Amino acid sequence: MLQFLTKLASRSPWIYRINAGSCNGCDVEMATAALIPRYDVERLGCKYCGSPRHADVVLISGPLTLRVRDKVLRVYNEIPHPKVTVAVGVCPVSGGCFRDGYTVDADIDHYIPLDVIVPGCPPRPQAIMEGVLKAVEVWRTRLEEGVCSRS
Amino acid sequence: MLPFLKIMLRNLFLGPSTDPFPFAPAKTHENFRGCAVFDPEKCILCGICRHVCAAGAIQLRASEDGSGMQYLLWHNSCVFCGMCAHYCPTGALTMSNNWHLVHAGADRFANCISGFVRYGECSQCGAKIQPRPPVIADKLGKHSPDRFLLCPKCKRQSIAMNVAQARPLFRQDVS
Repeated sequence: MLQFLTKLASRSPWIYRINAGSCNGCDVEMATAALIPRYDVERLGCKYCGSPRHADVVLISGPLTLRVRDKVLRVYNEIPHPKVTVAVGVCPVSGGCFRDGYTVDADIDHYIPLDVIVPGCPPRPQAIMEGVLKAVEVWRTRLEEGVCSRS
Repeated sequence: MLPFLKIMLRNLFLGPSTDPFPFAPAKTHENFRGCAVFDPEKCILCGICRHVCAAGAIQLRASEDGSGMQYLLWHNSCVFCGMCAHYCPTGALTMSNNWHLVHAGADRFANCISGFVRYGECSQCGAKIQPRPPVIADKLGKHSPDRFLLCPKCKRQSIAMNVAQARPLFRQDVS
């Protein structure tokens, strides 16, 4: 029964977005990927959800500023396992052009394990969709093996 | 009257506006600015790309045996501004329209351009100088092609010799 549900679940990942101090460029592209019929991420079964407790795939954008760090971690810990993290843009990985700033705490990987990275500043919507598809593959293997994202 | 009817009819015949991306290649404009491409054959190690890089994505590391420099451009820090390609004097760096850069989080440090550029050699004394590929030799070395391939020391000597030959009287006074 659980296996059957696992098979079904991996066809409809619910996506949650976290803005970790981003400049809003990546957030606009993420919204574009869902809302504009030209890209339409929802035809792949994905759905943006409002609550972190419903989420399966997390899209994180922004270089994790010090001011927002604790709030991001609190929201992130509310997402149930197995969760898959997608870093959208170069900021979560390296800080991009905010690198070495005094309020910037990138690399985000010190706090949150990044599973898939979509480089770009911002990445184009198709690249985000590519990243989401890759994340869904990771999520499927995690569901089948029953591991959590930290193990 | 009823202008939307015209639009509706047109949309009926135009078909779906959705880009069938994951199932078919996405449309990419040829001027789309994607990741940078590096050609080590043309690089002269001037370092202007590293200087203008806003995100600090470019590194030039001298190799341990002193034979050249390791060129690194980390795509996970590059913001695709294209300044490096704009300022590159030889066209060694160009921007491609490749945007397929998605990768697993584990290989984020492997997602970079890595090239090795060998130093050039002075055609007279064999000292290590910046490489002199034909691209830059044809452009900057047109004036005096022989002197362009020399190291700074040999270049100073050859200029001094030229001056001395041109003004033999001056040479006598000095000695």
